[in-house]
Amino acid sequence: MRTYILRRLIEIVPTVLMITLVVFVMMRSVPGDPVVALLGDAYTEEDAVKVRHEYGLDKPILVQYTIWLGKLVQGDWGTSILSGRPVLKDVMIRLPVTLELIALSMAVALIIAIPAGIIGAVRQNTWADYTATSVAMIGVSIPEFFIGVLLLLAFSVGLGGLLPSSGWVYLPGTCPTMLCGVSVWGNVQHVLMPAFALGVGRAALLTRLLRTSMLEVVRTEYVTTARAKGLGERPIVFKHALKNALIPTVTVMGLQVGFLIGGAIVVETLFAMPGLGTFGIDAIIARDYQQVQGFALITAFAFVVINLLVDLSYTFLDPRIRYS
Amino acid sequence: MANGNEVVTVKQRTISGGSVSEADLPAGVVAPGRAEIAESPLAQAIRRLRRSTTALIGVAIVAVLLFVAIFADVLAPLSPTASDQAHTSERPSWDHPFGTDQLGRDMLSRVIYGSRISLAVGVSSVLLALFVGVPLGLIAGFYGGKIDTGVMRAMDLILAFPIYLLAIILMVIFTPTAGLIGTMKVTGAIAIVRIPIYARLVRGSVLSVKEKEYIEACRALGVRNSWILIRHILPNCLAPIIVTTTLGIATSIIVEATLSFLGLGTQPPTPSWGWDLKANIAFIQANPWLSLFPGLAIFVTVLGFNLFGDGLRDALDPRLK
Repeated sequence: MRTYILRRLIEIVPTVLMITLVVFVMMRSVPGDPVVALLGDAYTEEDAVKVRHEYGLDKPILVQYTIWLGKLVQGDWGTSILSGRPVLKDVMIRLPVTLELIALSMAVALIIAIPAGIIGAVRQNTWADYTATSVAMIGVSIPEFFIGVLLLLAFSVGLGGLLPSSGWVYLPGTCPTMLCGVSVWGNVQHVLMPAFALGVGRAALLTRLLRTSMLEVVRTEYVTTARAKGLGERPIVFKHALKNALIPTVTVMGLQVGFLIGGAIVVETLFAMPGLGTFGIDAIIARDYQQVQGFALITAFAFVVINLLVDLSYTFLDPRIRYS
Repeated sequence: MANGNEVVTVKQRTISGGSVSEADLPAGVVAPGRAEIAESPLAQAIRRLRRSTTALIGVAIVAVLLFVAIFADVLAPLSPTASDQAHTSERPSWDHPFGTDQLGRDMLSRVIYGSRISLAVGVSSVLLALFVGVPLGLIAGFYGGKIDTGVMRAMDLILAFPIYLLAIILMVIFTPTAGLIGTMKVTGAIAIVRIPIYARLVRGSVLSVKEKEYIEACRALGVRNSWILIRHILPNCLAPIIVTTTLGIATSIIVEATLSFLGLGTQPPTPSWGWDLKANIAFIQANPWLSLFPGLAIFVTVLGFNLFGDGLRDALDPRLK
């Protein structure tokens, strides 16, 4: 098991390298570069050549990538050409916001999906099942930003502006600079709507999956055996069936990370949150090469690490699964 | 020739030890005494689909949307881009059932015309991905070896990306524009992201089918590889392809709307639901209707394709229910 984890951790390196290399090459094939934006109205071809040389942008792409990589190994994520700020610092400032958003939206998804999926399967073809499946169908058909808009309409426009429509208040201890609003209640107010907007769609998807796999599991022989030996319905469902039924659900949750990153971009844009999503999209649109690389690096890393965690969770859900 | 086929049929029956379904028989062979009574798999699927109320609702929604998109010129009361400075940011009224936006454009007309972009991108991006991904999967699975490794490595590279990250960067490279060209750029970006889904799906099916005895029999008869692929292997992958395509249209429509929402889809003045929703959020306090209607349109469209796709899955493969 230990060697397996070690091997997987080593495998993370080539994957992350590949993703960052592809992003590196793709960003440099985007028409226009940061120098144009940097010089703005004072743009002259001469100055541009000078500035490009200064930042090493006139070197071949692979050489530029190697330089970036060499600095990265030393803990230097580069400095944004446009803002002049170190990329690592900006990423670290924005990371807690996005982590909180994603963690809470996953919690929202699970809190809704596990009971709804179980009820749908255990009470198959009753009104409870029909309600759960219909609501889930509606849930998978609404894009995150429209759920966000509906929440805005209900809680910011309606109900006397109960929840703030944009911005962010940090949890005590997570404030990265001296100048930010810090309060637990303020944080809760700001994170509730984004977390629901991002979580509801996942909840709907997981409900459908969990219901289907529960339906399969409750028809297996070991569940019949459990019933035959006189076990109550509750331990059968929660102790025996649920764990096995969760395996496909967990797999899909891992695959959903890619969507969650996109969802974070959308939800953070809608609610104007200072997270990694808005950082990434702003950097891509501004062609801020260094910031895009930082964003690609952290997302690629999160993506592969979460997939590793998903694979490892199988051993907990089904002890027969062993890695060597 | 006929004799040869008969022999194959008999051999197959003894090897598999079970009943022979229509699909398992080589081309041109009719199972004796069964063709007259048995319903074709297609007829069975249609019968099952017609029994499902939710699937029929999905079909109805999709049909209405297609109608609206095709006849947008006739159905829309006004031009989607004509601004009326005397009537800006109006709430829904008889003259403007969905209201007007801050430029005085009729929202109902914009929503009606927006269906064109949504459906065109949703359907054509999935079809584009299908026409590239399916042959790739067929070839990779059938020939195996280096071709398989090469193709699947490329597919894994695309899949290694969080899909929105890839779609967003592709759109920045393509530089979003308005009109038909702009629509084609979005279509291309979404198609690229979706190609691996088909390649993997088809490759998996091919791997499971190609070792079956009837493929071996075809080889023994000297049937060309391309004919085996198209006539005998592809039909076995059709059910999952059809289901993935229908549900994929729903996903593509969401991705298109999301790209538009981020300002990276088809550019104005071309009416697009995602863009309209985003543009009107700034005025949500003053006129909430403006972002509500484009959002509802996206939701209903996606719901239609999801219901249809779910129904198709149940109809084509009852085991999956």
